[in-house]
Amino acid sequence: MLQDDGRIVVSGLTKSYGQVKAVDNLSFTVEPGSVTGFLGPNGAGKTTTLRMILGLVVPDGGQATIGGNRYVTLRQPIKEVGAVLDPTFHPGRSGRNHLRAYSAAAGLPDKRVDDVLAQVGLATAARRKAGGYSLGMRQRLGLATALLGDPQVLILDEPANGLDPEGITWLRGFLRHLARAEGRTILVSSHLLGEVQQTVDRVVILAAGRLVREGTIDELAGADRVLVRSPHAQALQHALTGQGIAVESTEPGVLIVSGADTPTVGRAAYTAGIELHELSTARSDLEEIYFRLTAGEEQFAGSAAAAEPKESAA
Amino acid sequence: MIGLIRSEFRKLFSTKVWLWLLIGAAALAAGFASLTLGFANNPESGLPRRDDPDLVPIALSAATGAVVFVVILSIIGITQEFRHRTATPTFLTTPRRARVIVAKLVTYVVAGAAYAIVTSLVVLAVAIPWINSSGGEVSLQGRNLSVLLGGALAVALYSLLGVGIGALVRNQVGAIVGVLVYLFVIEPIIRGIPATDTYYRWLPGGAQEALAATAQEGPDLLQRWQGGLLLIGYGLVSAGLAMALTLWRDVH
Repeated sequence: MLQDDGRIVVSGLTKSYGQVKAVDNLSFTVEPGSVTGFLGPNGAGKTTTLRMILGLVVPDGGQATIGGNRYVTLRQPIKEVGAVLDPTFHPGRSGRNHLRAYSAAAGLPDKRVDDVLAQVGLATAARRKAGGYSLGMRQRLGLATALLGDPQVLILDEPANGLDPEGITWLRGFLRHLARAEGRTILVSSHLLGEVQQTVDRVVILAAGRLVREGTIDELAGADRVLVRSPHAQALQHALTGQGIAVESTEPGVLIVSGADTPTVGRAAYTAGIELHELSTARSDLEEIYFRLTAGEEQFAGSAAAAEPKESAA
Repeated sequence: MIGLIRSEFRKLFSTKVWLWLLIGAAALAAGFASLTLGFANNPESGLPRRDDPDLVPIALSAATGAVVFVVILSIIGITQEFRHRTATPTFLTTPRRARVIVAKLVTYVVAGAAYAIVTSLVVLAVAIPWINSSGGEVSLQGRNLSVLLGGALAVALYSLLGVGIGALVRNQVGAIVGVLVYLFVIEPIIRGIPATDTYYRWLPGGAQEALAATAQEGPDLLQRWQGGLLLIGYGLVSAGLAMALTLWRDVH
């Protein structure tokens, strides 16, 4: 049984391919009952990390535990942890027979196969050869494989890859349902923040094999700032800094106020008798923050991708 | 372990490979037996006549033609996990990889034995009416029985070699081509050249030939039981190799 409700703890994971450090002393935690986005550009080492967590790739150093155990020591792993890594199947085998091979190996009742096929909406295509499946159906078959053992923890590697907009919408809803309604712990990787932004509670951001940020979406965004336009901007800036509020001016007549909300700024202007033309909350652009955090790693990421068999093939 | 073996059988029977290879094995065995029986009354052939009891074991040994098909079946059985990358869900379900390899070895030995039974029945179905109508008789005792059972054991044991080679090479086409070249080019050359033919008996092919020996003229071979032990030894080394290689390598 998993301890800590299946908290995933990655500590000091390191893996090199030749001269390239694909993953470099990486540590982070996935809290139970949360959806964590595992973000980074292509080739940042996400897939290698997930494969190390799942015991498919042996790390050069460090270790990863799920609920206090290494994956390879779990007695019935797919009843505890479900994983979707780049869905793989024999093209000549039907989706149903693919799943039946794994239900037998895990000692699960065959009824589970039809249950998960219905759950992911693949029941009607279940007896067709998987080689003829669309990309969306392949991802659904991958999800069905992960759900076979009804696990508490789900690990998904780029599940939205190759999906059409309809498929992505379905996937978002499905993951939200698994997390919110069923309380599962989910670690989902993506190279696009926007793809998972609405689904995840926390993010772990990776670049060139190293952790660059870990925290909630709100922590990533930082506090909201206030944007003010006024013909007497300098006077207002003076009034606000007098109250110990940080203000910067990016262009004449415009102030960006940190550490104060709109009522505070409005009151300060009113008290000082300063005319305002705009007073609004400036939300942080998450995409921009994400891009800035992972920028400058592209060149390195490119060589890491070439050394990483899976991500270079994808 | 029962579940894992059931899983491997489900993988085996959920694609058509086993059927095509079984048809191939049966056709090859029927063809060999027919050629042997057809040429038997030709004095140039060097074969005993069709009513001669010495012809029976030679005709029955055609059942070992299944060897090459069983080797290919077991190579495909392991290499398809890497070719179609189903090794990922397989090892996620069973992270103790040695158990997967043991299940595959058991599955393909059983499948190999089943192939041997089918090809033996095919060969008997060809030989019995043909020899009976030529005034001979097919007895299923003594030497004839040894040839059939020894041949079947050889066929089943070759599946261990197939799993080992597949785990070693991983590349499906490479493994199959390599085995075919070995079985049909390298071993026959070693068997045929006087300078090397004394080593032939120590090779898998020589061990197989000893197991299904018909007392026909040929190179020096081991005793039947020695050939059996040698082939079991090759099989176990191969199985051990398959396990060691699978445990150490990363799965992408």
